[in-house]
Amino acid sequence: MIATIGHLLLSGAFLASIFAMILYAIAAVKDDIKIERISHWMWGIKGLLLLASSAILIYLIMTNQFQYYYVWNYSSLDLETMYLFSAFYGGQEGSFMLWILIACVVGLGLIKWTRKPYRAPVMFVMTLTQFFLLSMVVGWDLNFTQIGASPFRTIAQEMPNAPFIQANPDFVPADGSGLNDLLKSPWMMIHPPIIFVGFAMMTVPFAFAIASLWTKTYHEWIRPALPWTLAANLSLLTAIFLGGYWAYETLSFGGYWAWDPVENASLVPWLIGTAGIHAMIIQRKSSRAHKAALFFAILAYVSIIYQTFLTRSGVLADQSVHSFVDLGLYGQLLSFIVVMAVMGIGFYLYRYREIPSPENESKFLSKEFMTFTGSMLLFILGFVIIIGTSSPIIGKLFVPNPTPPDIQFYNDWSMPIAIIMAFATVLGQYLFCQKHTWESLAGAMIIPLILTSTATVLTIVFGDVRSLYYMVYIFAGWFTVIGNAAVMFSLIRKNPKLIGGTLTHIGFGVLLLGVLASSVYTEPLLDREIRNYNARIAAGDVFDEEGFPVTQQVEMFSLEIDTPTLVNERYIVTYRGYELSDSPRLGQQNYIIEFEPIDGSRPFTMTPEVYPMLTTSTEDNIDWSVDPHVRTGWFSDIYLYVAGSKYVAQKNEELERRAQRNTMMPVGDQGEEDTDIQSIELTMGDTVAAGPFTFSFINFVPASEEVLPDNTQIGIRALIRVVHEPSGNAFEVEPLFAVYTENERSYTYSPPLKIDRWDMEVLFTRIHPESDSIELTVHGLDEEFEEDWILIVAEKKPFVSVVWLGTFLLMGGFSISIMRHWRREKDTKEKE
Amino acid sequence: MKPKLIFGVLAIVFFTSLLMYNFGNSISTYVNFEEAENRTTSHVIGTWENSEAHGFSRETMQFSFHMKDQDGNVRRVVYPRPKPNNFEQATQLVVVGEMRNNVFHANEMLMKCPSKYNDPSQLELVNAQGG
Repeated sequence: MIATIGHLLLSGAFLASIFAMILYAIAAVKDDIKIERISHWMWGIKGLLLLASSAILIYLIMTNQFQYYYVWNYSSLDLETMYLFSAFYGGQEGSFMLWILIACVVGLGLIKWTRKPYRAPVMFVMTLTQFFLLSMVVGWDLNFTQIGASPFRTIAQEMPNAPFIQANPDFVPADGSGLNDLLKSPWMMIHPPIIFVGFAMMTVPFAFAIASLWTKTYHEWIRPALPWTLAANLSLLTAIFLGGYWAYETLSFGGYWAWDPVENASLVPWLIGTAGIHAMIIQRKSSRAHKAALFFAILAYVSIIYQTFLTRSGVLADQSVHSFVDLGLYGQLLSFIVVMAVMGIGFYLYRYREIPSPENESKFLSKEFMTFTGSMLLFILGFVIIIGTSSPIIGKLFVPNPTPPDIQFYNDWSMPIAIIMAFATVLGQYLFCQKHTWESLAGAMIIPLILTSTATVLTIVFGDVRSLYYMVYIFAGWFTVIGNAAVMFSLIRKNPKLIGGTLTHIGFGVLLLGVLASSVYTEPLLDREIRNYNARIAAGDVFDEEGFPVTQQVEMFSLEIDTPTLVNERYIVTYRGYELSDSPRLGQQNYIIEFEPIDGSRPFTMTPEVYPMLTTSTEDNIDWSVDPHVRTGWFSDIYLYVAGSKYVAQKNEELERRAQRNTMMPVGDQGEEDTDIQSIELTMGDTVAAGPFTFSFINFVPASEEVLPDNTQIGIRALIRVVHEPSGNAFEVEPLFAVYTENERSYTYSPPLKIDRWDMEVLFTRIHPESDSIELTVHGLDEEFEEDWILIVAEKKPFVSVVWLGTFLLMGGFSISIMRHWRREKDTKEKE
Repeated sequence: MKPKLIFGVLAIVFFTSLLMYNFGNSISTYVNFEEAENRTTSHVIGTWENSEAHGFSRETMQFSFHMKDQDGNVRRVVYPRPKPNNFEQATQLVVVGEMRNNVFHANEMLMKCPSKYNDPSQLELVNAQGG
């Protein structure tokens, strides 16, 4: 019932968006302020309807109404409250709703702050995008076609042919299938909202660009559009950072960036948006680059839609772990991108001749040329990444059935582009402050160049850099940092409000240095045995059982419990066992691994986790997932996860045995328990083997009075040494044997002694005086017992902190620029 | 203006062809095991052949199993990491690596997993990840 209301509200919002769109169009054409006012109301009503319908969806999630497909698919009973919100935008439909909601709020801001003549056309474009986005979730089942997928559809509507639905149409699952465990992270809670803030705000420069083409006012639009573009970029950057940090902390690929299509989907709009910002700044300062500013503003949003299309239409299904379930929205998404691209690019080309262009060329050594170069390079980089991400489509030109491009493709292109960009930033910033000739520029750069060279040489020497390519790259990185810092120092004295730009460029340089250090100079942590083995593999001396040479290096090593192992000649690493814990995840193991640096610095403990993936595990098959531990340091991080353990191996074996028993012996059989009791006879000095253990009877030890029962006649202990032969671990136990009388009868007393680690109990059960031997009874002696072990994958990653620092500087720079442009906009508005 | 325009067009053409050439080289096509014999890196799609022996060896630190490609060729595949945990459930495997002497050395392995709900209406309830 309540879901029907939600569905109707959503339909109402969709209709409202159509009305608002038509009204805004009329208002823009007729320049009618009254109609415009009505349209604003429609926008507001649409927002309220949407808000109400989102509230209903959240209510359904909160109250665990699993008859609804969306609730069932993304939520479950055990989900913590804060992640119930994540469940709201965990799927395609909900994330569309969140996007639309945020865009609604952005629209309210535009209504309030935008002036004539832009307001009506800008809002028209905004409603047009809302129309398309709402159509994805409206869920109208017309006879000939289906429009959108409603988050309010029931399981029965989703899969009418399923047998359990045909048997019982009112079927309600007892529990939801749950939010993916990997998404249960605070980072992943805030990541999607922030990215949609970025997407929604990036609509604004697009809308202004269209409005400017519409009204043929090519100069003024950038002033209101610039702060929005900057804010959109800040949001995208923050979202990219959060996503990267989350990937690094929770996934096992061991990095913050993998050129995954979905990562690219947020990077490309950021790059093109940044290109647009550069073009807008030239236009504002020098009244040039009108064409580029318009073009990039249009393209930034089109790239968002294009990447949305790629990730949500199912095109990338085979290529990315990220891609959404195909909801059959292919056609709708395709028309969205086509309409936006045709409207944006087509309108742009139609007006192309009217757009002002500069009368004279800019000189090479001018801020305009340098900034424009930066802008073009950002665009080219974005373009390269779009090509790579589009491999399922564009790749068909080359091969049938194309695979994604090698990671190398992205690296090969981005590195040289980044190097040229780096030099352009410094030249551009110098020229922004002051006009320069080659001579004066050379003079001003002497000190930064000396510092850069020194820093580069030091980096090369201490970092043991061998590649000439990397040397150039490092030089470019340091030059960006030092050159821009020099500009910043002189700016701080003159006008500290202007440092936003230089700060972002310093951040870019820092990022360049950090990326190289943390990716190229990552070293795996391995013990000596594996390192030697890898050296032999490299030399071609290792052959597999069929006699073929082994070429793949081993990236992990195993640790036995309490056995210190020297790793990379740097750390003594000891595995101290695991704790089972059901919090926050059921069946989770927390492994404890101690690191002791041999140079004497402070020891530390790493605690990676392994847990069963709740969403995909069943009773017969546990889908284990790892949660790496990252130890963050100023100079380097240690990244470590448990790739295998005795516990997990045993659990899997148990499940396999149970599965076999279930198939072969349907009638229960529980006869296995008592088989692990074993008797061992020993004379003094003897050693007897039992399974992987040996028992040595060393000596008799007198027993103290207080542990003996009353009326004891004999009370003696035996000193027994138990050794686990494969590992060499040993325990000494002194089990007690006593004979006492009670009611004139003799009894023996043999309390069990427990060896906790092996889950074994040793009892001293008899003395044979005639042969001078004793009898031990051992419980829990496992014939196949092996010591606890784990397999570890660990890496030392230098200067990941520098990557984060660079990102923070970029964010800081953007924030300062937003404030500055926003304040100036407000000031000019108040003057009017 | 004219020579500059020509220069610009040439630069764009040169850049685009270089990009597309490089792009064309860095992608490849999915192949079967027989075709993989003559290639350095191949992507092969197939299914796990569970009648043959499989397992992770703690000595060689490799997981080894047999896979049947889409044309029915069965080959041994070695993978230098522990057995991925959802391996048995996978309805389809993609291995990326090199074929040498009839053994496929996988550097990467991707698994496509079926739904946990045994729903025959060919609906794949793969858990989508937001982001």
